[in-house]
Amino acid sequence: MHPFSYRQASDEQSALSGVSGQPGAAYLAGGTTLIDLMKLDVQKPSQLIDITPLPWTKITELPGGGVSIGAMVRNSDLAHSEIIMTRYPVLSEALLSGASPQLRKMATTGGNLLQRTRCYYFRDITTPCNKREPGSGCSAMDGYNRIHAILGTSKHCIATHPSDMCVALTALDATIVTRGAKGERRIPINEFYFTPGDHPERENVLEPGELITAVELPAMPFTGRSHYRKVRDRASYAFALSSAAVALDIQGGVIKDARIAMGGVGTKPWRALDAEKALIGKTAGPDAYKAAAEAALHGAKTHKDNAFKVELAKRTVIRALTMAAQKTA
Amino acid sequence: MEHGAAATACPSDPALAPGSLAPDFRLSHPRNASLSLSDLRGQPVVLAFYPPGWDPSRGEQIAQYNKILTQLPNLHAELMDFSVDGDWYDLRFAREQMRLPFLANPSPQPEIAQLYGAEGREALFVIDADGVIQWSYRAPVGVPPKTEDLVEALRLIAPQPKEETAAPKAPRMALTRRDFIAATLAMAFALTLGAHAAQAEPEAARMGATPMAPAMGVSGGDTMPITLTVNDAAHDLQIDPRATVLDALRERIGMTGSKKGCDHGQCGACTVLVDGRRVLSCLSLAVAQQGKKITTIEGLAQGETLHPMQQAFLTNDGYQRGYCTPGQIMSAVGLLTEPVGPEDADVRENMSGNLCRCGAYPNIVAAIQDVRKANTNASV
Ligand SMILES: Cc1cc2nc3c(=O)[nH]c(=O)nc-3n(C[C@H](O)[C@H](O)[C@H](O)COP(=O)(O)OP(=O)(O)OC[C@H]3O[C@@H](n4cnc5c(N)ncnc54)[C@H](O)[C@@H]3O)c2cc1C
Ligand code: SF4
Ligand code: FES
Repeated sequence: MHPFSYRQASDEQSALSGVSGQPGAAYLAGGTTLIDLMKLDVQKPSQLIDITPLPWTKITELPGGGVSIGAMVRNSDLAHSEIIMTRYPVLSEALLSGASPQLRKMATTGGNLLQRTRCYYFRDITTPCNKREPGSGCSAMDGYNRIHAILGTSKHCIATHPSDMCVALTALDATIVTRGAKGERRIPINEFYFTPGDHPERENVLEPGELITAVELPAMPFTGRSHYRKVRDRASYAFALSSAAVALDIQGGVIKDARIAMGGVGTKPWRALDAEKALIGKTAGPDAYKAAAEAALHGAKTHKDNAFKVELAKRTVIRALTMAAQKTA
Repeated sequence: MEHGAAATACPSDPALAPGSLAPDFRLSHPRNASLSLSDLRGQPVVLAFYPPGWDPSRGEQIAQYNKILTQLPNLHAELMDFSVDGDWYDLRFAREQMRLPFLANPSPQPEIAQLYGAEGREALFVIDADGVIQWSYRAPVGVPPKTEDLVEALRLIAPQPKEETAAPKAPRMALTRRDFIAATLAMAFALTLGAHAAQAEPEAARMGATPMAPAMGVSGGDTMPITLTVNDAAHDLQIDPRATVLDALRERIGMTGSKKGCDHGQCGACTVLVDGRRVLSCLSLAVAQQGKKITTIEGLAQGETLHPMQQAFLTNDGYQRGYCTPGQIMSAVGLLTEPVGPEDADVRENMSGNLCRCGAYPNIVAAIQDVRKANTNASV
């Protein structure tokens, strides 16, 4: 690990000023991504600003019926929050499917949004990787790419965004609230992440030093009927090979509205808008779900070792929809 | 003793006798599909085969390896750290160039063990820089190699005091890096000693000659004064910000109950409670814990009376080798205060962050359920 200096931020202002004009500075939240990557020399900040003392630890109801989640709320606390479990079960389920109990107690909402890919080559500084070292090449392209993405890839990077939480947040149309040099910004999650394109090193719209302060969930009356389905190499404590976060508004057996997002298959948490459209107005049932799954994977591009993900992801979507429909809204 | 006998008994296959060329093999790991044993020519390699279940990540092993290393002439190395990432281990030395990698999982390439007649048993092969087997031995099944065996092996390949040692054919980094380690030598550990690097540098620059900040791997960077509260006792430390809670506990405070398995948040061996919440001490910085209460396995018992969870692990035989046990117990104690369903399946899911290589899981679940049931009964 490279040497760094450490400082605790006492408030938002001291956090922001701690990193402004300091290209080597990084915020430290739960540390479960950052410390891990620092040990691997993948990240080498010269200064850590510990933001865990910041008071964004509350989950509050918004006037319009939505919910605001502080950036410092730990994943386990969010998952077990009453309001999330009842109104947005998909988010609670996604969180509980991720990592381990210990990691969830450490991981924060803000940190989870910014976790880095688990692409082996990204984590291994001896191999070329465009995301880690722009222009060095992508080792996964012709290497071992079983866990890699099939949607949103470019010729420069095929790494997945590994988060479970973010898939649920994407299905729920979350808004990410930030604070930076230019004041507050409110960014819809679907506009927060970049696909790799020519610049896999740029993963999201955050400016250097910009702080995530909260995540807001809009009021959505039907999200009680939502579900997160995760498929992985073992029953627990593994990243998703494929996952689906879905919410269904079913009235009189007919689908009025739907939300579908996928994990483990996209270079960012993947919203499947076409699949949602394919569901609306259809009778809830296997035929509709199958059509939606087909639409969701339309345009998938596979590589040597990950062709299996197309079928797997379709089945994951179908299964998630089936399970969600069985819930009472 | 049995080792001498074992050494002479090995190998039965004349192709593996000292003086013969070490059978080449190619690494099948995707990241290093093109790397072969022969690519390592130019530096000595030790292959050691261990059957599954031998877990070298015990704290004592560090001391043991250091003992070996101090007995080697011209090798100024100090073993700092163990880590395990998935299937393989990585031993880190004070010198960056010095790493002692080995792979402990038999599954990826059992054919290599087969090639060396080492299936299911411990074996050591010392291969010199020219790829020739210089020394080998194969222990009877169930007998792990002893320190002396390794010392003997390493003596043979210790650098001779000559001006130059041939440069390795493969890039040095590639050999010593994690991917190589991950890729290399199924069911084996490959020991590559950066001997010539030790010779090339001036005496003063040798890490072995400088007192190191414990478990930091490198020196440098300013230290900070902190107070860590561990098991209700305050410890004032002057500490490198890079130190994890785990390193601070083990190396500075001398509490070695918390174990270092993977050092990357993947195994749970380092689990401690911070303000009553179970967390991974290997991913927590010590400097960030001021004002927080850390509880370790050493802090569970009340005098001679074990914590109910410790007692339940004993009663239910919730361990075999015991390396993961402190982490399992701390995790289980943390679980008691969490919203976890009543079923065994709930416990299994909520203990999934604690891996046990011996597979003691059924008894671990039983132990935890015992305590939970007792608690429920007590509170009714
Ligand atoms: C072994 C292991 C298994 C895992 N399994 C899973 C899994 O199955 N599913 C899953 O979804 N995740 C998994 N994770 C990832 C885990 O969820 C993330 O590491 C965690 O959510 C990151 O949160 P953190 O608070 O620890 O972030 P940190 O490591 O503290 O920070 C991550 C990044 O975000 C930045 N940052 C943090 N907070 C803010 C903020 N408020 N504003 C601006 N920048 C900020 C930091 O500077 C850093 O760059 C796993 C991790 C490990 C180690
Ligand atoms: S897929 Fe992306 S992260 Fe992985 S090696 Fe290629 S460029 Fe790097
Ligand atoms: S040592 Fe493995 S999780 Fe910390």
